[in-house]
Amino acid sequence: MTATDSRADSRTDRPGARAEVRAAVRPAGYGLIRIKGGGRSCHDARDLRGGSFLLHRRSALVALGLALATVAVCVAYLCVGESFIAPADAVKAVLHTQWGLGQATPNDLVVGTLRLPRMTLGLMVGAAFGVAGALIQTVARNPLASPDIIGVSQGASAVTVGAMTYGVTSFAVLPYLSVAGGLAAAALVYVFAWRGGLQATRFVLIGIGFAVALRSITQLFLTKGDYLVAQQAKVWMTGSLNGRGWDEAGPLGWALLVLLPGVLWAARAQRTVSLDDDTATALGVRLGRVRLGLVSLGVVLASMATGAAGPVDFVALLAPQIARRMTRTAQIPLLCSALAGAFIVVTADLLARKLFAPTELPVGVLTAAVGAPYLIHLLLSSGGRGRKGGTAA
Amino acid sequence: MTADRTSSRPPRASLVRRRLGWTATAVVALLLAILLSLAVGSRQIAPSAVLDALLHGGSSDAADIVRSLRLPRTVIGLMVGAALAMAGTVMQGVTRNPIADPGILGVSQGASVGVVLAIAFAGVHTLGGYVWFAFAGAGLASVAVYAIASSGRGGATPVKLALSGAAINALLVSVTTGVLTTKAAALDEFRFWQIGSLAGRDTEIVGQVWPFLLVGTVLVIAVARGLDALALGEDVAKGLGQNVAVVRVVAALGATILTGVGVAAAGPLAFVGLAVPHIARAIVGTDHRWVLPMAALIGPVMLLVSDVVGRILFPPSEVPAGVMTALIGVPFLVTLVRRKTVAA
Repeated sequence: MTATDSRADSRTDRPGARAEVRAAVRPAGYGLIRIKGGGRSCHDARDLRGGSFLLHRRSALVALGLALATVAVCVAYLCVGESFIAPADAVKAVLHTQWGLGQATPNDLVVGTLRLPRMTLGLMVGAAFGVAGALIQTVARNPLASPDIIGVSQGASAVTVGAMTYGVTSFAVLPYLSVAGGLAAAALVYVFAWRGGLQATRFVLIGIGFAVALRSITQLFLTKGDYLVAQQAKVWMTGSLNGRGWDEAGPLGWALLVLLPGVLWAARAQRTVSLDDDTATALGVRLGRVRLGLVSLGVVLASMATGAAGPVDFVALLAPQIARRMTRTAQIPLLCSALAGAFIVVTADLLARKLFAPTELPVGVLTAAVGAPYLIHLLLSSGGRGRKGGTAA
Repeated sequence: MTADRTSSRPPRASLVRRRLGWTATAVVALLLAILLSLAVGSRQIAPSAVLDALLHGGSSDAADIVRSLRLPRTVIGLMVGAALAMAGTVMQGVTRNPIADPGILGVSQGASVGVVLAIAFAGVHTLGGYVWFAFAGAGLASVAVYAIASSGRGGATPVKLALSGAAINALLVSVTTGVLTTKAAALDEFRFWQIGSLAGRDTEIVGQVWPFLLVGTVLVIAVARGLDALALGEDVAKGLGQNVAVVRVVAALGATILTGVGVAAAGPLAFVGLAVPHIARAIVGTDHRWVLPMAALIGPVMLLVSDVVGRILFPPSEVPAGVMTALIGVPFLVTLVRRKTVAA
């Protein structure tokens, strides 16, 4: 608001003072990116209308770093397994199996058919959970609120385990049941939490209430069912990428593509919601609608990911917090959350495959083991950073 | 300010009267719950026969059932309900987070890890043996949570407490599931303990945990005023002459001991620690000197009633109390949370 005002003022100012003023209104830590090659001279304020935006330097660096780390882990993921394949060969195999470039290599089967699909799914699941967690934590204004705490994952689990107990075991049907369960649980929470508006605390509390109730129902199914069902359900409930591939990755990929515009909208809308209610309302934000939009988006993302890989725990809780503490921004950065989530899931699955080989752990066991220590490290090293209170924290 | 106060808040006398009224109601509800827990089950026993068995002994079947099966179960329900409810109240007060509870902050999970390791590696298979492992686990978990939160600048702020609790909880869950997925034999035994149940606990446990319950209760009651001050924010609390660090540490210690009591005796019962504080606050306001005793009354009511309903729902098998607490507690929580704005 004030930025544009002072920029308008600066046009009437002396040319010399203008640059100073413009530097002054730019928030700390942000760089100005100009699309129309304004360069450094900027002798006309109309340049700004040619397209420019503020870029949080630290966020950009963190995103780059996370992206590089994720790429590195992906390469490692393709190389490591029952048989080790050199990175160059792995990349060749990927190029050949996916795009028909180069010659067929003996590694095609292992890399292109076994490891690549699973890795792709892991990346997408992680990113989806990361964004979902970021959105819901922002709306709830509580770092503890994530899809696996406010009932989405529990709804998915309850429906899925219930179906397993009554003899539905085909993996062609179960994912759709989980998505339906997650969405239904979220809808219930929303209906019960709605009372002339959506108050953050009320929403979270009722969400947790439903989550615990649904988890109890799941447990009931587990104790009623026989031992084998319990074992299978337990594996599904900790989230696993084992034996998953293009069949699950395909629908999830399309869903993420369809939701991408929504996520871009959310990245902007998020900023207003993280202010306190009165301020946001005074700024003309339609809080109820924006929140509904953000939460719905988060829930759909989380449900999709749960349907594809089971409720991979803690990614949605840890990834956004790790991202936010790395970038040190006021809001939870969506891109970095997605990257952090993808990194956590792929790393965890790599460890899950290798750690106790030949026994394979479900990825959900290790996501926390990968994410939590880093979050703890960030907590230990960051200190207060002078930011108090639990708004978007 | 003053005009506002008189219009929105009842004068002091009527507030006290209302609180006393509610407390009396809660006591009556608790007595009823105890009576139900002693009289109802797969075999109904008339209340008069229950009293008779308790007061005059006797050797009839009914008296035996009451004394050897239902009495220990009821006593444990009382202790566990009160312990978890108070622990939850204190944790919500210390972290200033309305969704903090022993489960989310990792303390219950610490106890669970202790038990899992005991089953899987130490070959402990008796409840009397679990208790100490659960205690040790809960203690270690909360020390870790507090240590992480209080390091760095700014000390143990609410947000950092909540986050470090969540991180430790996540870590411990992965330890638990890791052990259970690799050791299938432990899963079967653990899955029945994990839900939380009052069935099959013997009086031995009562003897083992009551001193801890007492110590924990004394600790949390001692910092009740401090928690009230903390609710106003750290700076205000300091200004009111509270030593914030001491309040936090004592409260955390008390909450840990109480959680240890609850989890050791009945498994990680979800929800009691989360919901009861909110219900208590909705009834008597935010003063911890009232909320804590109220929670200690409501917690057992919720737990005992859940246990009784679980006994008669699908006879002859029992639904574990831990499942029923949530199913019975959720409607209450939802109603109360909807009725008024939540005091975090």
